[in-house]
Amino acid sequence: MKRGLCWLLALWPLLGIADEAVLTELLARIRQNGQAQFRYEETRTLELAASPWHGEGYMLSAADGSLVKLQLQPSRVIMAIAEQRMYYWDSAQNQRHSAPLGSAGPAAEQITVFRSILQGRSEELQATYDFAAEKQGKQWILRLTPKPDLNDQDAPAIEISGDEEDKQRRILIRQADGESTEYRMVKTAEALQQEYSIQRLLLEAMGE
Amino acid sequence: MSFVWRKRWFMLLFPLLLAVTFWQIRVETDLNAFFTATDDEDSRLLSGLLKSGELSRRYLLVVEKAEQPSSAGETSPSASPVSLAVFSARLVRQLAKLDDVEQAWSADEPPRDWVDAVASYAPYHARIFSLNPEQDGRELFDPAKLEARAEALKQALLSPQGGFVKAIAKQDPLLLSLNGFKDLQGQFQQQSKLGNGGALILQSRPAALDSEAHTRLQAAIRVSFDSLNAESGGSFRLSMAGVPVFSVAAQSEISQDVTLVSVVSSVAVALVFIFLFHSFSALHWVMMVQGASFVIGTLATALAFEHVHSLTLALGASLIGISSDYPIHVMVHCAKHRNTPLSAVRLLWPSLLMGGLTTVIGYGALGFTGFPGFEQIAVFALASIAGSLGLTRWVLPALLAHSSLHSAHLPGIAAWVDFCGRHRKMLLGLFAVSVVLAGLCLPQIRWMDDMQKLAVDMDLLKKQDAAVRSHFSSIEPGRFVLIQADDMETALRRSEAAERRLKALKQAGVVSEYHGLFPWLVSEKLQAENAGVYDQALTPEFQNAWREGLTKADLSLDKLGRLLPAAAEPLRSAAVLDSPVRHILSGQMMTGQNSVILSLWLGEHDPDKLAEGLAGLEGTRYFSQKDQLDHLAGKYRDRSLVMLGIGIAVMALFIWLQQRDMRKVLLTLLPSVASVLFIFATWALMGEEVSFLHVIGLLLSVSLCVDYGIFFIDNRGKDADVTYHAIASSTLTTLASFGALGLGKTPTLPILALSVSLGVTLGFLLCPLLIQKPTNQ
Repeated sequence: MKRGLCWLLALWPLLGIADEAVLTELLARIRQNGQAQFRYEETRTLELAASPWHGEGYMLSAADGSLVKLQLQPSRVIMAIAEQRMYYWDSAQNQRHSAPLGSAGPAAEQITVFRSILQGRSEELQATYDFAAEKQGKQWILRLTPKPDLNDQDAPAIEISGDEEDKQRRILIRQADGESTEYRMVKTAEALQQEYSIQRLLLEAMGE
Repeated sequence: MSFVWRKRWFMLLFPLLLAVTFWQIRVETDLNAFFTATDDEDSRLLSGLLKSGELSRRYLLVVEKAEQPSSAGETSPSASPVSLAVFSARLVRQLAKLDDVEQAWSADEPPRDWVDAVASYAPYHARIFSLNPEQDGRELFDPAKLEARAEALKQALLSPQGGFVKAIAKQDPLLLSLNGFKDLQGQFQQQSKLGNGGALILQSRPAALDSEAHTRLQAAIRVSFDSLNAESGGSFRLSMAGVPVFSVAAQSEISQDVTLVSVVSSVAVALVFIFLFHSFSALHWVMMVQGASFVIGTLATALAFEHVHSLTLALGASLIGISSDYPIHVMVHCAKHRNTPLSAVRLLWPSLLMGGLTTVIGYGALGFTGFPGFEQIAVFALASIAGSLGLTRWVLPALLAHSSLHSAHLPGIAAWVDFCGRHRKMLLGLFAVSVVLAGLCLPQIRWMDDMQKLAVDMDLLKKQDAAVRSHFSSIEPGRFVLIQADDMETALRRSEAAERRLKALKQAGVVSEYHGLFPWLVSEKLQAENAGVYDQALTPEFQNAWREGLTKADLSLDKLGRLLPAAAEPLRSAAVLDSPVRHILSGQMMTGQNSVILSLWLGEHDPDKLAEGLAGLEGTRYFSQKDQLDHLAGKYRDRSLVMLGIGIAVMALFIWLQQRDMRKVLLTLLPSVASVLFIFATWALMGEEVSFLHVIGLLLSVSLCVDYGIFFIDNRGKDADVTYHAIASSTLTTLASFGALGLGKTPTLPILALSVSLGVTLGFLLCPLLIQKPTNQ
């Protein structure tokens, strides 16, 4: 027993190094350089909704950091970030909003965090979150927990998971008030990426 | 007291007086204090708005992408490209930290505390949802539309504003409170169409015309911008507009004027003096006497008023020329008659005293013209002229005891006196015809009705202001709808009536936009009307239709399904004004002891149609800062004319008390009054726009010219040539000192320079014509 404990203590730093290595590998894995398109399904659990809400559509990410979330079901809604500005266009409700990210409050902060996750900009999250990485077989999980000494009480907890082949990804965002959003995303093939243009969708969201 | 001791006391007391003055004086740079009277309600309002009005304290900032320099070496290679929106957001955060900044925000987004304040109205949703509850209630409480409303609520909860909407929906499921704030949202949406993220608003703390504080703040804004811009490789440029930008520029112009006028006036008087007397020693002593008079005037003003305005000092500097008249008369008589200074001053003292008195009357009348700055100048003049007279009488003879004086012979003086004597009849005939013609010209005088023409010319700044304002949906800082009432409830009811009219006028295109107080503040009467309509609509059928809508939208019946009756207690305006909403409305409310004044801000509008549209509303009127200023200009002008008449009458009374001869009184006054008539007629013929400042300038010239009449008639040296030489010398120093005002860029100064210079020159020339040359003995 004593000998086992000694071995554990001796190998403990190596376990730490192993965790660090997994984290580095996962952070590199989630980093998205260049243009990408995902088909997504979204499930939101809202405090004021009777049951979870489902939506689906496409996420388009550009090399310049622009991000467009095109919701096609249950209705067409575009949410986008470009040039550090957030745009929202709900054609069914005729609701259009736009605001600079720096001054648009919690809503914009959540979208910024989501973009950081999707595009793998871990450096933008390091001030707010503690990172923990886990790998089991072909599956991996990256957990982002708000730092305990953080002033922002509303920062959500985030869990990103995927597999070795990196075709599917799941992002779970749990808000401090109990609401949650889960995205299940599949990278689309090159051929399908021609269907939607980020630029065109951005212009539509901007109302131009 | 012996001359030696008089000299010693003077040399001891002068520096002492100077030290006390420096210790006592507080110089005012706030232009408002100088230019705006506060003797009626509208003037007080105007003054208050200029001083602390919300819009007057607001800076409009525009950040734009700068033209990139062609040489790549000019930008920092390490700097990463930053978008305009990111840069603007960073700048807003930096600016918000500055000491004199109350708040800074991007123009197309409401500041964070506004959004929080809107959420705080949710519990009172049933009392504030509409300005026209009967009319809007039909649409808002139509059961057939509840399904769509529930679906819209769900979409709002899913939108980026979900967190904000959720907090409201828990207390106000129908989101009625947001209906009241729809117009506010519209204002920001309109702005976001205009701007590209670079339009920022900065609310400063100091009063708009506190130019010292704003000079500091503008420098701090530039430093913040420059440091951020340097980090971004110098890719941006900043433009500023707003009332404080103008006030700082005007202050800078006025400071330059004060320095220029003071220096040029002193140097010009000194040069004239040297030319006249060829004595540096005498110049030195006389300048010391004038310096002491200036210090006495400044100290008296500092004691009588809380602050001494810098413009008072500038105009006071011109008094150096006037108060040197007294020593000059003494010295001319000394030099020409080889008298001692003491005997000369004893001989001339009655004339000097009367001359000083009439000048003081002229300046005293200034104090009653209603122009607040001139109250200071009147006190300044009274003290410095009294000081100069006293020093001339009792100290100057001691100072000049060992100075050798040579009075210059001024060419043409004797010739003009002789010419007037020889051709008196012909010249008097000509004079009489001129008087009649001048009288006929008077009705053609054009009065200046636009006070803006008296402001410092800032065309370049105005162009920059227009360029900056083109990035903002405009609310005009100087024109608004004014609501007055004895209490807040009545004021709010009147304001709501006015807002209903403005809404209609906006639809008719008379006004592009307006900022009212609804629903930030709602009268209890309107709250009761809203609650009545709401409670009436809240039938079981309506409740059921709402629950069905929620079910279809898959929203929680438990949390959103119960629509509660309207809150029993109204939202009290006192409670609202105790909350942060007070800051949002601070620029639109003024509460006096027994009255409440509210202002509704206006965008671009047609003033006549707007005023017509508001007709018939009690306690409501259209207020234009410019119209008010123009009205003040008219009022000042009328008072100046009255004071010109009263000033002349009082001078006549004092001359009569001394002379006891009405003919002499009329003769003494005639040159100055005639010169005023001719100058008015010339302006009428030239089409010059005459302002109250022109009249004030003439009032001063009368008070100075009357001295010439007094000296010429008294002729105490019994030598008309010497007396006229002395008058010519003092005219030259007056022209030198008042002429210096003409160099100022502030239009006030050249107007005074022109009026006074023309008045004294003409008055001087008319003296030997109108007053028969006294016999030399």
